[in-house]
Amino acid sequence: MMKTQDTVLIALFAALIVVLSLVPPIPLPAIPVPVTLQSLGVMLTGAMLGPTRGLFACLLYLLLAAIGLPVLPGGRGGLGVFFGPTGGFLLGMALGAFMTGWLARRWVSVSGSNLRTVLAYGVACIVGGIGAVYLIGVPWLASVTQMGLGKAALAVLVFIPGDLVKVAIASWVAWRVERVWPILRESP
Amino acid sequence: MLIEFDRTVVATPQSQALRGVSLTLDQRRIGVVGPNGAGKSTLAKLLNGLVLPTAGRVTVDGLDTRHDIKAIRRQVGFVFQNPENQIVYPIVREDMAFGLKAQRLSADDAAQRIQSSLDSLGVGHLVDRASHTLSGGECQLVALASVLVMQPALVVFDEPTTQLDLRNRNRVARAIAGLAQQAVVVSHDLALLQDFDRVLVVVDGQIAADDSPGPALRWYQEHCA
Amino acid sequence: MIEPLYIPGDRWLHRLPAGYKLAALVIAGVGLFLVQNVWGLLAAFIVAGALVWSTGVGAAACWRQIRGLVWVLVAIGVFAVVFQGWLSAAIVLLRIAALVGLALAVTLSTRSSDLIAVCERALMPFERLGWVNAGKVALALALTLRFVPEIWRHYQEIREAQAARGLARHPVALLVPLVVRTLKRAQQVAQAIDARGE
Repeated sequence: MMKTQDTVLIALFAALIVVLSLVPPIPLPAIPVPVTLQSLGVMLTGAMLGPTRGLFACLLYLLLAAIGLPVLPGGRGGLGVFFGPTGGFLLGMALGAFMTGWLARRWVSVSGSNLRTVLAYGVACIVGGIGAVYLIGVPWLASVTQMGLGKAALAVLVFIPGDLVKVAIASWVAWRVERVWPILRESP
Repeated sequence: MLIEFDRTVVATPQSQALRGVSLTLDQRRIGVVGPNGAGKSTLAKLLNGLVLPTAGRVTVDGLDTRHDIKAIRRQVGFVFQNPENQIVYPIVREDMAFGLKAQRLSADDAAQRIQSSLDSLGVGHLVDRASHTLSGGECQLVALASVLVMQPALVVFDEPTTQLDLRNRNRVARAIAGLAQQAVVVSHDLALLQDFDRVLVVVDGQIAADDSPGPALRWYQEHCA
Repeated sequence: MIEPLYIPGDRWLHRLPAGYKLAALVIAGVGLFLVQNVWGLLAAFIVAGALVWSTGVGAAACWRQIRGLVWVLVAIGVFAVVFQGWLSAAIVLLRIAALVGLALAVTLSTRSSDLIAVCERALMPFERLGWVNAGKVALALALTLRFVPEIWRHYQEIREAQAARGLARHPVALLVPLVVRTLKRAQQVAQAIDARGE
């Protein structure tokens, strides 16, 4: 049953994803492309809110983009991205928020050791924030560009190191915040 | 309106926010002071059912907060401490309209009530402003206006001036003084309560003093300063 | 704080109902994938370009929207030329460009509120089933728009505080307070809504 609190959390985390998407990309050493914080926001949303609320927050973010608001990195927005080669990565993020939330809720326990907790968040973020995103994004890219799955997968390999850094950050932040303000366990 | 606390207890597994408070309040201006964590906010939030008693009961105008929350919230408005987190919609006008939805007014009537509610607090010019452009004081006044637009009989304030600068604090203080409705005000700002009818001092979950402002605030300053 | 991408105007594309434009876009999306003829796709690309131009969009705004795609297209183009030949590359690039162009034209010529109205209508059967509460979705949408500027402001405050203390941009130190404050804000906003709610 969705209480007011849940609706507000969904809305505010969608807003958080917007803010993190619009933060200027951060150059990381040894990584060719500056990383945006968009997927970091999605991972955090799933990790903090759990599967259902996390999914809705991400869908709300995507809805804002779809209706023509410039909430995607670089101030982009509108239907263009959804109909282009990278549209699959956006939909993959919604699945990713759900997966991250589902796994985080299953594995993160209050009584676990700190290391175990961070690792649990880490794996949840890898499966959701990387796995799910590319699971949908890569086939989409492959079919739009008629590239073939293998080559498309190779093409996105360059982003993985940056993604792993984001996983580490998201896990750390989720662990620190959950200690101070536990909400993962709440419904729904 | 008559407010009655009947052996009201609010307890969580960790602590007792309120230990068996029994009170009858019907004055026009009631102040509530006390040290941090004493239970003042809890007391205030019991009045519109944001907090429910774990034992005993709270009735407002004969309605029990455990059973008639909707009816109570139509009569009791609440202004919170944080100015910006009360304004929920991107434009002031939309936010004011939110509270009126249940009342099913015609579009014209609603618009008129919204404008006059804002005008009565001197912020009529903000009606079409974007919410995020309002200052702290403007937020508080708009929040109060959006409560008043629902025409409650009682308005509860939970530390309304704590986060405001001096000038905005004065604006809100004037607004409270000029309010036609009954008001219960929780505040650290003792000057705000000087002309009130009754002041309660809450310490450690109980009413330690209950008197007119002079004696009550003196007690507070002697024992809690 | 977020300005919609919609360009106010009164040309015929603006006046077409949002639902029709969306339907046409979806049909075009499917249709263009069935077209393998490079001249057909070139024609589609030109039509898309003309539609975008007809919305009255300024060059800078348009560039910002397609800038990211251009780099992706360059990469795809190079890849396609190397592995599939010039003709294949042209087909792929023209198709993508045409489709993205059409979608951009719809975005530029359609009000966000009209698109939301289409969503509401699409969700109505689900609402009757009890799966979706339209009121809560509308509230969530409003809340997000309301608080993006505030959360952005808080992000800037934290960054300035870090800079003032000579700290480099430290993501964890930035994100923990940002998330905590968002959680706290959610609690307060929910209480404020409940206090006024129906």
